[in-house]
Order: sequence, then structure tokens, then C-alpha cells
Amino acid sequence: MNNKHKNITLNDLPKHNVYQVPEDYFDRLPMRIMERTATEPQQQWLPVKLWQQLQIAIAPFVLLLLFVGVFYVSLKSQPEQQAINLAAVNDSEIVDYLSAYATLESADLAELNAIQQQELPSEFLNVSSKAAEEELEYYHLRDTDY
Amino acid sequence: MEDKEILEKFANPDSRNLAFNQLVRKYQQKIYWHIRKMVIDHEDADDLTQEVFLKVWKNLENFRQDAQLYTWLYRIATNECLTFLSSKKRKFFLPINDVAAELAEKIDSSADISGDEIQLKLQKALLKLPDKQRLVFNMKYYDELKYEEISEILGTSVGALKASYHLAVKKIEEFLKQD
Repeated sequence: MNNKHKNITLNDLPKHNVYQVPEDYFDRLPMRIMERTATEPQQQWLPVKLWQQLQIAIAPFVLLLLFVGVFYVSLKSQPEQQAINLAAVNDSEIVDYLSAYATLESADLAELNAIQQQELPSEFLNVSSKAAEEELEYYHLRDTDY
Repeated sequence: MEDKEILEKFANPDSRNLAFNQLVRKYQQKIYWHIRKMVIDHEDADDLTQEVFLKVWKNLENFRQDAQLYTWLYRIATNECLTFLSSKKRKFFLPINDVAAELAEKIDSSADISGDEIQLKLQKALLKLPDKQRLVFNMKYYDELKYEEISEILGTSVGALKASYHLAVKKIEEFLKQD
């Protein structure tokens, strides 16, 4: 044990700075720092900077939201649009279409008649009297009251 | 020049450079020595001091005047030191003791470090402390800052700082008594 330092405390030591700097270091340092500040832009005011960063971060979310919105609106308006389109077609066109392309059961015609409460004209059926008679005979419908 | 006056002049674009020059001249030594005692090497301390003042230049406009200017400067310098020391450890995959040994070796060999035996031993004893405890010790012992001021700089409670300082003193005195 070194007796010289055996009972030493920090209070016994003078506060001596052991580090040195080159000559005139502190005279030159401000100038060196000022030279560097000339090439360093100052930070922009925080809200401006924050807003710029937010814009970049928000952009993809806004785009995504826009796509979802457009998709949702188009999905919602589809049935309404179909109903509007159908309403624009007049009855005779619908009848022509159905008689030309649709397979109609006699029950369908009967239902239509019941709804409209009117006699079906022969031209609506688009069938000759003879063929109609045969049809009724075939399905035993002559005595059925609709 | 008072801090308030420096800040007012800095806010005016016409007197900004002059005000910043005054600020650097006022605080350069405090900041440099605070850093030097942590990193030991002059070149490293010089680089870090310049970096600190560049950060001050960039951010002084955002400085909230409810804090003291010098505690804000100390905080920036402290963060630079801690970042530098931890990157040094990471860069060379060195454990803490090896970094301390490297810095202790600089104390023995560097031409710009001189003092009597016990003073140099004190500096080596300080290197045995963890970085944050060494910071606390330096600010209290050498810079004679109040615990409240150190608390503002490090964001640590006064009680924890007192305990840390007394523990540091105990460790250092133990080291000084060793051969």
C-alpha cells in the first residue's frame, strides 16, 4: 500500500486541470464555428417542418381513403341505378322482351293479370287461338278458374 | 452580454451572426472542458464542441426560454458525449473496460495532458466510473453546478444525483488509496 495516498480524500486535492489545448485554440474556435454555420442551414420553424413531414406521411392515407370512398359510393349506388334504368323502359318494351326471350309459364301470365286486373289481349300472348286451345287442353286448364 | 440580450439579437436576422458569435465566445470554454473531461482526447473534444455549437445554431430559434440557456447547452453537449462514447464502444466491439483502458492510456501518453502523479491518478479513477456517473461527478466537482441544475441537464432526480455523486466520491477515494 502506498502510504503517501493511504488517507487521501478528494478534499485534500486541489482542483487542477491536467488537460491542455493548443495555443490560441479558444481565440480561433469561434471563427471556425462561424465558418461552418455559413454552410449549415438553420432548422425551419417547427410547425412548418412538422407540417411538411405530416404531408408526406398523410399522402398515402388520403389516397387510400379516396379509393375506399369511391369504391363504397359506387357499390352503394349500383342497385339504385339499376332500378332507375329499369323504370326508364316502358311496359310494352318489357313485354316484347319477355315474350321474345323469356320462358314464360302460364302461371306467370296469370299472376300478371291478377296484378293488373285486366284481360290479357290475344296479341300479348303472341299465340294463335288454336294453339292456345291446344295448350289449355294439354295441361287440363280449361276448367281452372284464375 | 446577458443570455436574454443574445437571444433577442439572435431573433433579428440582421444581428443573428453577431449574437451567435457572442454566444460561442461566452460558452465555448465551459462546453469544451465539459466534453474534454469525458472524451479525454483534444481532437475528439474539438470535433464534438463544433458539433454542439452547430446544433445550437440550427435549433436556437426553437429554444424555449423557460429553461436556462447554459443548461440547454450542457444538455446538448452531454448527449453528444454519450452518443460519441457509446458509438466508440459499438464501432470497435469494445467492452466498457477496454474503452476506459484506452482512455487511461491516453492520459499516460498524450502530450497535452500533464499533472502530478495524484492528479493523473484521479483522472484514471474517473475513467473507472460509468459514463453517466462520471458526468455527474464532473458537473458537481469541477463545474460546481447545483444538483437542481444537473437535474435539469440530465433529467434525473436530485436525490438520485446526490446518491450517484457520493458513490462516485467513495469509489474514487478507494481507487486513490490503491497502489
